[in-house]
Amino acid sequence: MIDFEYVRVTDIDAAIHAGAVPSTRFVAGGTNLIDLMKLNVERPAHVVDINGLARRDASLAALADLPGGGLRLGALAHMRDVAWDARVRDRYPVVSQSLLLAASGQLRNMATIGGNVLQRTRCPYFRDTAMPCNKREPGSGCSALVGINRTEAVLGTSEHCIATYPGDLAVALVALGATVHVRGPTGTDRTMPFATLHTLPGDHPERETVLKAGELITAIDLSPLAAARRSLYLKVRDRASFAFALASAAVAVELQGRIIKDARVGLGGVAAKPWRSSEAEHALIGKPATEQTFRSAADAALAGARPHRDNGFKVVLAKRTLVRALAEVTA
Amino acid sequence: MRSLIDREPAWCGPAGMIEPGDDAPEFIFTVDGSPRRLSEFRGSPVVVVFHGTHWDPARDEYVDAYNRLVSSLGGVAGARLLEIGGMGPWRDLTFTDAALSLPVVSSADSDIARRYGIGDEPAVFVIDGTGVVRWSQVGPMSLANPVEVARAISAVAAPFVGEPNEYTQQHSAWTRRDFVATTLAAAFALALRPIEARAERAAALAPRSSPTAQRVTLNVNGRDLALDVEPRVTLLDALREYAGLTGTKKGCDHGQCGACTVHVDGRRELSCMTFAVMQEGHRITTIEGLASGERLHPMQQAFITHDGFQCGYCTSGQIMSAVAVLDESWGPGDDDVREAMSGNICRCGAYPGIVAAVQEVRRAQASNGGGHSK
Repeated sequence: MIDFEYVRVTDIDAAIHAGAVPSTRFVAGGTNLIDLMKLNVERPAHVVDINGLARRDASLAALADLPGGGLRLGALAHMRDVAWDARVRDRYPVVSQSLLLAASGQLRNMATIGGNVLQRTRCPYFRDTAMPCNKREPGSGCSALVGINRTEAVLGTSEHCIATYPGDLAVALVALGATVHVRGPTGTDRTMPFATLHTLPGDHPERETVLKAGELITAIDLSPLAAARRSLYLKVRDRASFAFALASAAVAVELQGRIIKDARVGLGGVAAKPWRSSEAEHALIGKPATEQTFRSAADAALAGARPHRDNGFKVVLAKRTLVRALAEVTA
Repeated sequence: MRSLIDREPAWCGPAGMIEPGDDAPEFIFTVDGSPRRLSEFRGSPVVVVFHGTHWDPARDEYVDAYNRLVSSLGGVAGARLLEIGGMGPWRDLTFTDAALSLPVVSSADSDIARRYGIGDEPAVFVIDGTGVVRWSQVGPMSLANPVEVARAISAVAAPFVGEPNEYTQQHSAWTRRDFVATTLAAAFALALRPIEARAERAAALAPRSSPTAQRVTLNVNGRDLALDVEPRVTLLDALREYAGLTGTKKGCDHGQCGACTVHVDGRRELSCMTFAVMQEGHRITTIEGLASGERLHPMQQAFITHDGFQCGYCTSGQIMSAVAVLDESWGPGDDDVREAMSGNICRCGAYPGIVAAVQEVRRAQASNGGGHSK
């Protein structure tokens, strides 16, 4: 790992000021950044440790009830604390499940919510500096297009990048319509729908979010949502535990009798960014909660899929995952 | 370490620090169960090592190097290890030989330490064959670098190869003893090569030489430990390479295997995925800090009872993880244990024993009212 300057901050504006310097990375849990620094994929000249911010402002690492029944997740809250929180488990089970099915016990103790949603792809070519990768080195080409692309995405890809967004929590958050709070330089705060945080690769796979240099996620808000209480995260992977998703589904359904009154659908492991399927939701709302309905929703969700040589199975797997998730959550 | 003093010698040394050129104060220590006077070893170089009672992160490695120093001489000069005493991560040594003696004296033997004018700090004295101190290093923090000690021994033990000294001037005749000493010097040159190479490598990598190295104080197993580390040094490397605490293992170094698991403020974390500089102010527990003295932690005992390991490489991480798992909110089933422990990979496949060990301790805690085992 190349050496770097280490800066510890306790004041958020100082953090943002330091973070705006070119070649700077924030570190909180470090579980993704340090991994990539060891691989020389990330080579920051400056690393700003933001763990101390919570000592100045405890709300940055806390969970707080919002007026109207929502819940605010501080960006520095650890995955473990959010996962086991009674309010999260009661009101947003899909969030708790997405966290507990992610990473390992040790990593969940370290990784923060803010860092988790910003984790980088696990595409093996992105992680290997010996191989071309447009995300790591714009213009160098995409090795996955012609290489071993079993784990790559089938939704939202471009001709320059087919890397999968690897996270689980973000899939739940995008399905629930969460909101992101961001603090930027000049002390400006802005709020955006979680769905607009991540960008599609398009012509610029090196850009993954709309965050600008120095901007820091301070909190993620879960809005009150009736369907969220009946929600589920189903994750399918190569082994039973501690692996990234080959396909996953975050579903939330509000039933009126056996008719689906409201539905939220997120897909993970198959898309270039945390994927919300409004097509699937439209196919569900107003329909009876039957396997036939779920199948047509799954077909709608994957209608735009563009598989490559090795990952065609993901289209089928994602559909089956979504059908089973919907069946379980409405059972 | 057990005391080497059997009775108070008649002769008492001067007050104040003993320095090169001074006569080595007499003392009595035990060899093969028999009391021996230091003066009985006249004609041979003698090294006296005092180690303080405080924790010295380098001691493990240095004592090990002293140990190898003497054992590597054994073939030529007949040096042998007489005694390994004491417990803990390091070995306390007493060894002697017709040509070379290395009694290691604990500073707990305060009478001897006082006679040499030192307190609780580590110290090394190299005494030549005439009973005169030729070289010493006292404190401040660590035991002397074994390479420095070896050089000093070579100087006093090699009358015909090194610079002329008082010993060579007084003993100009070729005697058997001189022959042994000369052979010894040659052996030293060989024996020291790997140690010196290692020391040179360590010096080349010395964190103090880095402009970005910074002092970080880590609280490890209840003790504050000041280390000079570059920001890029992970907690894992700081523990293993800087503090000498090698119980924590480096498996994948990428957060995928769990071998490096330690506790940070009581929670299990991966020491390979965090920088040491980020851990200031946190309470770190490693496998070395789990037992209470000689009494194993119940989880350590359970891993032995249930055969929870084969090669042992993942074991310290497994145990650290398992101890912390019992403070988390998991259910009581075997599947819960498997899921909770899925961040610790065992290539030998000792999983059935690991699950059994965790379950035994969990049940014991539950029947004791759910108290923590830590």
